[in-house]
Amino acid sequence: MSPPALRIRCARQAMAARSLPFSPLIAARPQKEFEMPTAGPFGAAVKRVEDPRFLVGQTSFVEGMVLPNMLSVAFLRSPYAHAKIRSIDVSKALALPGVVRVLTGEEAIKRCKPIRVEWKESKFEVDFKPCDYPAIAVERTRHVGEIVAAVVAENRYLAEDGVELIEVEWEPLPAVVDPEKALEKGGTLVHEEWGDNVMLHSHIRGGDVEGAFRQADVVVKGRFAMNRHCAAPMEGRAVVANYDAAQNGMTVWTSTQMPHMVRTKIAEALDYPEHRIRVIGPDVGGGFGLKCHIFPEELALSLLTLDVKRPLKWVEDRRENLYGSYHAKDDICYAELAVKNDGTILGLKTKFIGDVGAYTSYPWTPSFEPLQAAMAVPGPYKIHHVHCEALAVATNKTTSSVYRGVGLPAAQYTMEHILDLAAAKIGMDPAEIRRKNIMKSSDFPVTSVTGLYYDSATPLESLDMALEMIKYPEFRKEQEAARKQGKYLGIGISAMIEMTTFGFEYWRAAGLKSVTGYDSAHLRVDPNGGVTLTVGTFNHGQGHPTAYAQLVADGIGCKIEDVTFIQGDTQMTPYGWGTWGSRSAVAGGGAVIKASEKIREKMFRVAANLMEVSAQDLELKDGKVQVKGVPGKSMTIREVAQATVYTADVPDDDEPGLEASYYYKAPTPYANSTHIAVVEVDPETGYTKILRYVVTEDCGRMINPMIVDGQIAGGVAQGIGQAMFEHHQFDESGQILTTSLMDYLIPSCADVPPMQFGHLETPCPISVGGIKGMGEGGAVAPPPAIANAIADALAPLAGWKPIGRLPMSPEVVRRQIA
Amino acid sequence: MKPPAFDYVCARSLDEAIDALGRRPGEAKILAGGQSLTPMLNFRLAHPGMLVDINRIPGIDAIRDDDGGVRIGTLARHRAIEVSDSIRKKFPILTAAAAHVGHLAIRNRGTFGGSIAHADPAAEWPMLALLLDAQIEAKGPQGARTIPAREFFTTFLTTALGDAEILTEVKLPALPAKTGWGFEELSRRPGDFALAAVAAIVTLDGKTIKDARISMGGVGGTPLRAPGAEALLRGKPADAALFEQAGKKAAEESDPSNDVHATADYRRHLVSVLTRRALTSAAEKAAQG
Ligand SMILES: Cc1cc2nc3c(=O)[nH]c(=O)nc-3n(C[C@H](O)[C@H](O)[C@H](O)COP(=O)(O)OP(=O)(O)OC[C@H]3O[C@@H](n4cnc5c(N)ncnc54)[C@H](O)[C@@H]3O)c2cc1C
Repeated sequence: MSPPALRIRCARQAMAARSLPFSPLIAARPQKEFEMPTAGPFGAAVKRVEDPRFLVGQTSFVEGMVLPNMLSVAFLRSPYAHAKIRSIDVSKALALPGVVRVLTGEEAIKRCKPIRVEWKESKFEVDFKPCDYPAIAVERTRHVGEIVAAVVAENRYLAEDGVELIEVEWEPLPAVVDPEKALEKGGTLVHEEWGDNVMLHSHIRGGDVEGAFRQADVVVKGRFAMNRHCAAPMEGRAVVANYDAAQNGMTVWTSTQMPHMVRTKIAEALDYPEHRIRVIGPDVGGGFGLKCHIFPEELALSLLTLDVKRPLKWVEDRRENLYGSYHAKDDICYAELAVKNDGTILGLKTKFIGDVGAYTSYPWTPSFEPLQAAMAVPGPYKIHHVHCEALAVATNKTTSSVYRGVGLPAAQYTMEHILDLAAAKIGMDPAEIRRKNIMKSSDFPVTSVTGLYYDSATPLESLDMALEMIKYPEFRKEQEAARKQGKYLGIGISAMIEMTTFGFEYWRAAGLKSVTGYDSAHLRVDPNGGVTLTVGTFNHGQGHPTAYAQLVADGIGCKIEDVTFIQGDTQMTPYGWGTWGSRSAVAGGGAVIKASEKIREKMFRVAANLMEVSAQDLELKDGKVQVKGVPGKSMTIREVAQATVYTADVPDDDEPGLEASYYYKAPTPYANSTHIAVVEVDPETGYTKILRYVVTEDCGRMINPMIVDGQIAGGVAQGIGQAMFEHHQFDESGQILTTSLMDYLIPSCADVPPMQFGHLETPCPISVGGIKGMGEGGAVAPPPAIANAIADALAPLAGWKPIGRLPMSPEVVRRQIA
Repeated sequence: MKPPAFDYVCARSLDEAIDALGRRPGEAKILAGGQSLTPMLNFRLAHPGMLVDINRIPGIDAIRDDDGGVRIGTLARHRAIEVSDSIRKKFPILTAAAAHVGHLAIRNRGTFGGSIAHADPAAEWPMLALLLDAQIEAKGPQGARTIPAREFFTTFLTTALGDAEILTEVKLPALPAKTGWGFEELSRRPGDFALAAVAAIVTLDGKTIKDARISMGGVGGTPLRAPGAEALLRGKPADAALFEQAGKKAAEESDPSNDVHATADYRRHLVSVLTRRALTSAAEKAAQG
């Protein structure tokens, strides 16, 4: 008997989830050719091996680094959104005792090429304009916070004193602040050579959208403005760069998600031999996409250490983090949804206008935000007719780039909120309209109307599971009763399909040459059976040291604690693309599994030779290589390792040594989930409290369900941030108003409700190990779940009204009814 | 976010501190809990030439009973107020409000006097000092003086204190019998400064309001009393319609402005809701007591 293709796991709510009534549905599902292991390290909820040292503060963050003779760097940043630099006088700064060096843009540009992304050919319909992004501004600044000069001094205090002494003669220019006004002809241009402010324009069409709209009983429309916000990791960016005479090269420690790419780009920008640069990503205190870029600060410090021949440190402070690093997710969406009176969705038109700020980030370009929104907006629904337009518009604001979910939050908000609007218009329950249109597991694989290949998913099953967990019908009764007592409760659903990994074919199709979708693993087994794993991905909180060790243990039969995990040092790890886009479980995990397979095959060859049996007759069992069904006839992993590496008792035609690498061209699997929020709104003040929160998720085979839960929970916290708190604001002159955590509000633990998780496990048919990514969905789905719940709560007071802007501060909520 | 250089003096007595302040008039600043001053230094919003640390001065953090009221030493930490039995008995409104002052870590360091001297219009202690008609005691080169709370808060982050004057102690006079209190605050997140806050006390004579006081935070350059609303209440029977009316009046008397968190209009609306709620709760407590 083969095991069920869907396994339900439910942390926290184990009993409730297990008693779910849809096992018939699961049984009806065609079985995939996949052996779902029942026990073992792959799939075990083991505690993360890396956590204890973080909990007691034994860490290696850049901030804690001390090198002899180290100097500190501080940056002068533009106080204007758009201005000409008439002149810079650094003499007073240089005269300050303790200041060692000041670097301005004029000098830097001669020795450091600007950051630039070319994007010419693509299978997507995109029209993209590149721009130069100098490490230090030359002649003109294009947003508040852009670097104008770097000051190197004996310590950070003196460096900041030096910054205050630089005299700049500014000529302020009119600034482009509103992205819709930026599209009007004849206004100010952020990059004059473009002729307009459009960085990217794209159309995605599928089916016959006009025909579909003609058949509609009801067409609903909306404008949904997302809030510009930012990743705000606990640790901001941080760099130590050190020219090392002994190596005739430099080492750069940087708080990054992509050390190899950083090295390649420093080499190119400075025209410096790549093999003489060593980039090390030490412990990284959160990234969320912000740290998968090459940054001006990394280039500036690299250049400066070559000059002063001393180690340099720059640690981003919170103010710099909020205005000088990248922002994200600032999209306006216009949407129209055509439905029949029975709730059937006929067609969808959307236009996403992404306010992407001043420059092109490397390697993504900010334009992926609106582009991905346009691709993803139909979500898990059977929609056959769409026209989705994407515009990335440059403005004189902080450059905006990728942050957990990239584009998906705008898509998710638009689709899920307008769907409730349609339901309200035709008088249908929100759960009902979703059940009517959502795809179920047997609909997959399918190519979406926007051209995405959905390999497998369980949207209907996940929706039903979530409705069951939240006790939907009972809630409706509770809501009725509460209303009679003047309490306004609401419920909101957000169902999503989550593009993960962004694999090899994806980037080939996109045609963006700056990034590629493979990743790597190298395994070396030592004579005593210990394993060293080096990888090209970059864990910065996702649990790779544990999850990968589980995969190695599963693949070669060692113990999890036998695996030493090494990452992030370009001198020691295979080339790889770091960690972003929910890719590491699939791309890195796949490489680890494949490399483990190679090791296992060799172990079997060696053991077969020594035990005088055929390798086909061997299996891994209880940490031993044994003859199938003959427990007495076996060798321990250590014995095999000794024989292979130490005494070289290998077959004549085999090499000694037990090492393997794999570079895996990863696929692009789709995970799916449903979020349901229950809120209580105080209609007099608009104050909203989230009372309950349920997430059901299907990310294929889970390597470690505890880590999956953690990823969802952390994601939901960030999603609540987008929904209710976080908002970078600017005045009409482009001055940013949110440069401290007093004004830029991130959720604290007091703002995040208890959550319940339910899991479905549909093995991915296109990835090694049946794994899908899942790192971003948790952050993507919450805003519409909460918005739908608030609109539902307030419906008896003023009818169901969509919420057209985020975040849903008390005032925004109050204005829904007054 | 590193402060510019400054001189540092650790005073061991009030006189030593006053002396140090007097030596660098206008340039020296007192360092109490540091929870407002240090961020301002780090943002380089303040460039004091000298900090006079008063944390080592003995005896200025006491909370003492006094004539039915209490006296709170300037260096009493927010947390000490939150857990003080004597305050809980005499001024439970302070106990309730303390929970809204930042977060526990901030309450462990920040001081009562520091908050009042800093005079943030959205801070809890200044608005309560105003509500409770506190007597604020200060000592300077010219000696000691007492400043009534109503005269203390002059404009945004500005008080009646002179350059070399130290706030030493705050006296909260006893409240009459049959007095109840209400404290209502709305902030974006727990621990944030208030979008608007209203504190009220109501003294009843049977069902009639003998006296009512209303103080508003976060809706003006300083904490504000609502004299019109207070007058409206006095001598009238306590009821819901009256509280609603008083809320509207208080809203008119508030003077909020726009910022990134909320507009002035919304804040004014909040004042009317929160005032009604605070008065309702105060009257209920007064009736019980
Ligand atoms: C994250 C955060 C959240 C906060 N939230 C709140 C909140 O919700 N509500 C709230 O009320 N406060 C809040 N605060 C501020 C906090 O309460 C401070 O403790 C308080 O405002 C200042 O008191 P302090 O003792 O820290 O004074 P300091 O920061 O040391 O000094 C503040 C100012 O007062 C002057 N000063 C201090 N003591 C005296 C004195 N005895 N005589 C004359 N001048 C003096 C100083 O020179 C300085 O100008 C918050 C602070 C932070 C960091």
